[in-house]
Amino acid sequence: MTLLADILTILLNGLQQGAIYVLLAVGLSIILGTLKFVNFAHGALYLVGAYLGLFITGQVPLNNGQLAEWGIQSYGIGLGFIAALIIVPIVVFVVGLLMERFVAQAFYDRPDTDQILVTFGLAIIVQELLRALLGGNSQPFPQPSWASGPIALPVVGNFPRWRLGVIAITAVLVLGVYGLVEYTDFGLIVQAGTLDGEMVRLLGIKLSRPYLVVFGIGAALAGVAGVVGGPLANVNPNIGTEQLVPAFLTVVIGGVGKIEGAVVAGLMLGTLQVLLIQTGYAAWSQVGIYALAALVLLVRPQGLLGSEVDVS
Amino acid sequence: MSDEPGDATATAAADAETEVTGGLADRWASFRDREISTVLLTVVGVAVFPFLFNNYLNGYTQLATLVLIYGIFAVGFDILLGYTGLLSFGHAVFFGGAAYAAGIFSASVSSSPLLVLFAGTAFAVLMAWVVGFLSLRRGGIYFAILTLTFGQMSFYLAASPLAFLTNGENGFTSVDIGSLLGVIDIHGGVPFPLSMLVDNMLYVFVAVMTVLSVAMANRILHSPYGTVFRAIRENERRAEFVGLDVWRYKLMAFIISAAFAGIAGSLFAIEGNYVPLESLYWTESGRVVIMTVLGGVGSLFGPLFGAGLYLYIENIVSGFETLGPFWHLILGIVFVVAVVLFPNGIWGGIDYLRDMVVGGEDE
Repeated sequence: MTLLADILTILLNGLQQGAIYVLLAVGLSIILGTLKFVNFAHGALYLVGAYLGLFITGQVPLNNGQLAEWGIQSYGIGLGFIAALIIVPIVVFVVGLLMERFVAQAFYDRPDTDQILVTFGLAIIVQELLRALLGGNSQPFPQPSWASGPIALPVVGNFPRWRLGVIAITAVLVLGVYGLVEYTDFGLIVQAGTLDGEMVRLLGIKLSRPYLVVFGIGAALAGVAGVVGGPLANVNPNIGTEQLVPAFLTVVIGGVGKIEGAVVAGLMLGTLQVLLIQTGYAAWSQVGIYALAALVLLVRPQGLLGSEVDVS
Repeated sequence: MSDEPGDATATAAADAETEVTGGLADRWASFRDREISTVLLTVVGVAVFPFLFNNYLNGYTQLATLVLIYGIFAVGFDILLGYTGLLSFGHAVFFGGAAYAAGIFSASVSSSPLLVLFAGTAFAVLMAWVVGFLSLRRGGIYFAILTLTFGQMSFYLAASPLAFLTNGENGFTSVDIGSLLGVIDIHGGVPFPLSMLVDNMLYVFVAVMTVLSVAMANRILHSPYGTVFRAIRENERRAEFVGLDVWRYKLMAFIISAAFAGIAGSLFAIEGNYVPLESLYWTESGRVVIMTVLGGVGSLFGPLFGAGLYLYIENIVSGFETLGPFWHLILGIVFVVAVVLFPNGIWGGIDYLRDMVVGGEDE
C-alpha cells in the first residue's frame, strides 16, 4: 500500500459514506429551502424506502412482531434490486405528495416549532408501526448479486463493487435533480420561490404545484437512499431516526436550499468519519462530525455555501 | 389562553388582599392565583398521587416516582417551549449529563443525596451556559438543530471517548447513594402517619423536590422575568424594540430550564442507582418534548400531567393484552392529534372547558 493508494481509498470510502448523507440532505434541503417546511419525518421516508426495498427485492423471514403472530411467515415479492431502485422512488414520491398535501399545507402558516412537532410525531408513527408489525430486529439487506464482490481499481486495488455502485447512483440522481433545478423553467420557479415566494405569486405564477413536486422529489430521494443504504448496514426500525440528525447537519452545514452545498457538506462529513476510523480514532468518528458541524455553524451560521439571507 | 403582559400585574394585585366582590368564582380565582395555593395544591397532589395511582390505576410506587422526576423535567422544558417559544431538541444533554455527573460525583466524592443533587444540577447549568450560548445565535429551526447537534455530540462523547468515566455503552453502574442528612435511609420505609399514603422514603424525597420545583417555576413565571419570556414568545421583535435584551433573556430561560432538567436527571440517577447511556440520546429529548406537548405547553401543571400520561402508556398500557405491542404507536398518534387539534394540550383543554363554564381569565 502506498500513501497515494491510502489517500484514494479514504476518499472513495468517504464518498460512499457521504453519499447517503447527500441523498438525504439534498431532499431535506430543497424542501426546507423552497417550502420553508421543516421535515423531521425525512428519516422516516428513508426508513420506508429501506423496508419497501426489502419487500421488493426478496423474501424476508418474519420471526417476531404482530404479522408473525398472525401467522405470516415472510414478506417480499422477490423482483430484484433494479426493480426496487425504480419502484421505491415512485412510491415514496407519491407518499411525499400526500405529505405535502395533507400535512405540510396545513402547517405552512404555523410556527416552525409546530412543523417540527408534527413531523416528529409522524416519524414516530411510521417507525413504531413498522416495529409493531415486522418486529424490531435487524434484517440483512442483501447486495444485488451483480454488484457483490470486489472490483480491481487502478492504484487503489480491490474495492467493493457495491460501494462504487452507491457512489455512482448518488452522483446520477443528484446531478439529475441539480439539472432540474438549475436548467428548467420549473427549477427557475422553484429558485425564485425560495428567494421570494410572495413576489412569484404576484407575477401570476401558481406555486402550489411546484411545491408539491419539490416535496415529492425530496421524498423520493430519501426513499432511494433507503434502498441504496440498506445493503451497507442492516435494516431495523431505528435507522430513520439515526439518519435524520446527520442529514440535518449536512443541510445546515452546506447552506439551506443549496444542492451543491449539501454535496460538499455530505462529502466532508463522510470523509472525516472515514479518516478518523482509518487513522485509529474510531471512538471519535461520530463525535468528529458533530464537532465539525458545530464549528462550521459557529463560524458561518448560514452554512458553507449559504447566502446571507436568513431563512429561519 | 391569552397572554397579555398585564398578567403579572394582575397576579400581583391578586396576591394583595383582593376585595372579594363577586360570588364563588371570584373567590376561587383569587385563591387560585395565590402562590401558597399553588404550592398547597402540589403538596396535596404528590401526597395522594401514589395512593390513587397504586390502588386504582394498576400503578406502582417506583413508576409514581419516575412520573414526578420526568414531571420536573417537563415543567422545566415548558419554561422554554411554552413560555419562551424555543423548541430545544437537545435537552437530554442536561438530563443525562446531570445524571452522569450525579452518578460520578456519588461514586467518587460524596454519597450524600443532597450534595449529589446539587452537583448534578450545577453540571447541567454549566453545560446549558455553553450550549445555550452557542445555540441561541440563530432562531427557530436553527436553534432546534443546533441543540440537537450538541445533544448528539455529548451522546457520542459519553459512548466512547469518555467511556473511562461513563462506562460507555453499559451505562454508569457504580452510583452510590448514602443516607439523607446522615440519618434517613433513602431506600427505606417511611414512619407511620405517612406510610398510609406512601411506602418508601425515595418517593418522599422526590416529592419534596417536585413541590420545590413547581414552587420555583411558579415564582419565576409569575415574576416580571416570566412576563418577559412570554413577551419574547408573542413577538420577539417587539420585545427588542421595547428595549429588552432579548438574547440575554433567552439564554436565562435556557439555563433555568436546564436547571430543572438537571434536578430531574440527578434524581433519576439517585432513583435507579444507574445511568443508562440512552439518557443522552436525542430520543430522550424527544420524550420530554412529547410529554410537554401532550400535557399542555404554557401551563404549570400540564407538563406534570403529560409526563404521567406518557409513562403510564409506556409502562402500564404496554402490558395490556391487545394494545400492548402498539403502545408506542398509540403515543405517536395521540401526540400528532394533540399537535394538530389541541395546541394547548390536554391540560389546556381542561382549562378551556373550565373557562367556558365559569368564564374565568387565564393563569
